[in-house]
Amino acid sequence: MSDSVLLAFILLPAAAGAVVLGLRKTVAPAREAITLLVTLVNLALAIMVFNQNLAYTAPWGGFGWHFSLRLYQFSAFIMLAVAGFAFLVALYSWKFMRGKGAGNQFYSYLLIALAMVNGAVLANDLVVLLFFWEGLLIVQFGLIAIGREGAFRTATKAFIIVGITDLCMIFGAVLAGSLAKTLTISEIHLPLDSLASLAMLFLMIGAVSKAGAMPFHSWIPDAAVDAPLPFMAVLPASLEKLLGIYFLARITLDLFAFTPGCWLSTLLMIVGAVTIVLAVMMALVQKDYKKLLSYHAISQVGYMVLGVGTGIPAGIVGGLFHMLNNAMYKSCLFLTGGSVEKQAGTTDLSKLGGLAAKMPITFGCYIVAAVSISGVPPFNGFFSKELVYDAALERHVVYYLAALVGSFFTAASFLKLGHAAYLGKRDASHDAVKEAPVSMLVPMIVIAALCVLFGVYNSLPINHLIQPVLGHARLEGHSFAGMPANMMLTVVTIVVLGGALVNHLAGAKAAGSGLHAVDHIRYAEGLSPIYDKAEKGEFDPYNIGLRVAGVASSALWRLDRWTDWCYDTLIVGLGKSFTAGVRSAHTGNYVTYLIWSLAGAGAIIVFLMGLL
Amino acid sequence: MLSLLVLVPLAGLMLLSLPFAAPLRNRATILAPVLPLLQIILVVLHPAGFWSGSGGLDRFCDFGLKADDLSLVMLLSIGIVVFVTLLVVGQLVEGKRQRFSFTNVLVVAMIGMNGTVLLSDVFSLYVFIEVTTVSSFVLIAFNREKSALEGAFKYIMLSAVATVLMVTSVALLLLVAHGTSFSVVREALHASSSNVLVKIAMGAFVCGLLIKGGLVPFHGWVPDAYAAAPAPVSVLLAGISTKATGIYALIRLVAHVFAGSQSLNHILLFVGVVSIVVGALAALGQRDMKRMLAYSSISQVGYIVLGLGCGTPLGIVGAVFHLFNHAVFKSLLFVNSAALEQRLGTTDMNQMGGLGSRMPFTGTTSVLASLSTAGIPPLSGFWSKLIIVVALWQAGYRAYAVVAILLSVVTLAYLLLMQRRVFFGKVPQALAQASEASFGLVVASVALAGVTVGVGVLFPWLFNTFLLPIGGIL
Repeated sequence: MSDSVLLAFILLPAAAGAVVLGLRKTVAPAREAITLLVTLVNLALAIMVFNQNLAYTAPWGGFGWHFSLRLYQFSAFIMLAVAGFAFLVALYSWKFMRGKGAGNQFYSYLLIALAMVNGAVLANDLVVLLFFWEGLLIVQFGLIAIGREGAFRTATKAFIIVGITDLCMIFGAVLAGSLAKTLTISEIHLPLDSLASLAMLFLMIGAVSKAGAMPFHSWIPDAAVDAPLPFMAVLPASLEKLLGIYFLARITLDLFAFTPGCWLSTLLMIVGAVTIVLAVMMALVQKDYKKLLSYHAISQVGYMVLGVGTGIPAGIVGGLFHMLNNAMYKSCLFLTGGSVEKQAGTTDLSKLGGLAAKMPITFGCYIVAAVSISGVPPFNGFFSKELVYDAALERHVVYYLAALVGSFFTAASFLKLGHAAYLGKRDASHDAVKEAPVSMLVPMIVIAALCVLFGVYNSLPINHLIQPVLGHARLEGHSFAGMPANMMLTVVTIVVLGGALVNHLAGAKAAGSGLHAVDHIRYAEGLSPIYDKAEKGEFDPYNIGLRVAGVASSALWRLDRWTDWCYDTLIVGLGKSFTAGVRSAHTGNYVTYLIWSLAGAGAIIVFLMGLL
Repeated sequence: MLSLLVLVPLAGLMLLSLPFAAPLRNRATILAPVLPLLQIILVVLHPAGFWSGSGGLDRFCDFGLKADDLSLVMLLSIGIVVFVTLLVVGQLVEGKRQRFSFTNVLVVAMIGMNGTVLLSDVFSLYVFIEVTTVSSFVLIAFNREKSALEGAFKYIMLSAVATVLMVTSVALLLLVAHGTSFSVVREALHASSSNVLVKIAMGAFVCGLLIKGGLVPFHGWVPDAYAAAPAPVSVLLAGISTKATGIYALIRLVAHVFAGSQSLNHILLFVGVVSIVVGALAALGQRDMKRMLAYSSISQVGYIVLGLGCGTPLGIVGAVFHLFNHAVFKSLLFVNSAALEQRLGTTDMNQMGGLGSRMPFTGTTSVLASLSTAGIPPLSGFWSKLIIVVALWQAGYRAYAVVAILLSVVTLAYLLLMQRRVFFGKVPQALAQASEASFGLVVASVALAGVTVGVGVLFPWLFNTFLLPIGGIL
């Protein structure tokens, strides 16, 4: 296949996006059709080029930049996953977005986002990478902003947070490029001296921020409420995770000589562990379907960052496998949330309940995805988490404990969510709720099936998709497919999950409802005030940043007022009083003037005579 | 042939005043601007025979006239300002008889100034200063209005003090030097520089000139005289007459005759900076345009004296250049005020507004003159102020340099305030019918604006060819 087919991955969705944006309202079904067709073609192309090595280079701009794309094993795997999710979400949106405003913009941005992600994954030049990376930022802004009323603020928040981290990434890219004396990504492999560490740190900030790890996460829960739901399933839940972790893996595997012992490895693992625990603690207490999921979207990134950050093969394989798994079950979970929203009209857990009987297929998909994310064997999440546990324990027991705590609360929060939404008493207003339409069910079922498949036959993704990324030399002949090597860890995991179930049952019995099953944690001594503050957004780095900026700007404003006062009041006042003094001295009386002159003359002559 | 610069106007004046010449007077009044125009042409074209030749008339009446670079600049300034003044006279003085008399006195003042800048004798210098001053008295009081008489009276009173001081000084110098020509006095002062009489003589003469030049604290007469005088006289007084009598003589004596007196330089620096500050601050508070311009004159003369006080060739260059520039832009501003007076009958700025649209030429040239006064590049005023500041800095008088720069901001402030009150904003109901000034005034203001812009733009060329040689009088 010709190398220039790579351009089609970018140009086709981008052109289709432009066309869709300009469509008239009267041909509304055309936009869905175009979107479906293009994402399908994109998927077909991704399957066709899989297992191929392609490269495309054209001169671009000046300064020796090249528009160079490269498809190889790793990027082909990511491309395939991206294409799959894009198609399924497009299919899902067909019915979901019906009747909602800004449809043209939604489909257009979706297609352009696909083009940008494709471009960023394929990019083999740092400038090209940044181009598509920033392009995705702009599209993301648009996708959030077309949500419900007030989404513009959230879009701005996301833009500022990701924009700042992208700025760091630009700096890192420039630094890395100047150290390596080339901008071609495949030719960069820097030893981690002090400057290169700095470059890597900045590139890492960009990567983990795109993936949504703490502390760059706080726009995601807001967007979960404000943005159109398919956006959540496509960008923060899957495509951005894929892209961010893909790039993080590229940094650690290719761009820099990253070893388990270096301080950046420790930093990444800390970021991962903290993200797992804090985000899941927040997820636990959420009372909104989508918001709860969005905190998990953050928390799960922690496992990937932790896994990749260990720098040892088990961790990297686990992290990448988890990236793939998370993209599946998380988008599936968001899609079930969308079904509930579409059919029941709300995602507020206090109003939901007993939907299992009305939406059995949705409930089934939810269960599969929930047990996957909780890491129940033999679903896919179990295997990837076990790999991460294994690697984390090898580095230090603290990281392992953090990951286990995360697992416990993940299971607890999904027990709560499932209980509150699908079981328990149904509100009378939801008696007429029907199962979601087929076009929405198909994506969920497909993804849920994949969750089972990748769990039972985990050798399929691990052997064919992930381990080739590391190569034989790194793996040293190991294979991580099949059942976990360390049975002790599996036992511990099962005990923890059992503990979560016991905890839920006890909590639900005590509180009388599934929704309040975790109240004993939420209102526990010591945790309660922290939760209160967290729910007010006091720990949100964005809010803290805004407060700092507010203080700085009010200080500058005061300085400005003061300067103004100096010019407008002080100097003018001084000038006026001097002027008034001078004027009042000029009485017009010639005697006065004569006296002045004579006194002046006297003084001058005396001075000249040397008497003064 | 230098004596022609004095003798030709004098002869014309005398002949036309004889009874039988009465029919010629009207035509002569109209042709009067030719005299200063000829003077300008003579300076600019600089025919060697005229300036160096000692033949012809000079054999019979030898006044000891000498024209160096400084004198040439002064003659040019005199020519320009008198020419403009005569144009304004033609537009603003009513009645043929009045206009003839006015022109006559003006020509007397011109003779006085020409003599002042050409002579090389302390006593003659005094005489011609008085010729100019006395004709100025007459011109100020020409309309016999109360305020004009008051202004003239104050001028006379303070000039009387100046006269006493100068005559005393001349007498003392005669006592010490046994002569009054510049070279003799210079030699004598050099020989006996510690003589107390010499110091008194120097101080007295300088004080007399400071009164004539209107520097603080000798400036009491300036606002009243400038403001109360008829419009053309204001142009003449502010533009050149006080500069030729006071400031030129000061430059000539301090730089050339009293050369190298350090304490004199300190006095000049101090007087200069005080004048700058007081003049600018007082100008800021005026509501009458001519009075404001009068205070502005005091302030600008302060810059000239500041340059002179440096005691360096560059300082002298800056002072003379600023004197010339001031003659141009201040005359221009007074011509503008004359134009406003012609159309509105007042110079009270509070009654004006928005006239830029009604009087585009007056408004535009006024902006140019203001910017030049405030020292905005590339107009001529910027360069002369720059030279003065650089000279001060080089001579080590850095505090004075800083004050000079800061006060040029105040200069800009009061001039912009004037622009806003007079030319910007809305036109008040009463002035709705105001129109552009008469043709003669527009010609005068456009010509002066052209000079201030042209000199500014051509400065780099002028600096090396014309200005630097002036420093040679030290």
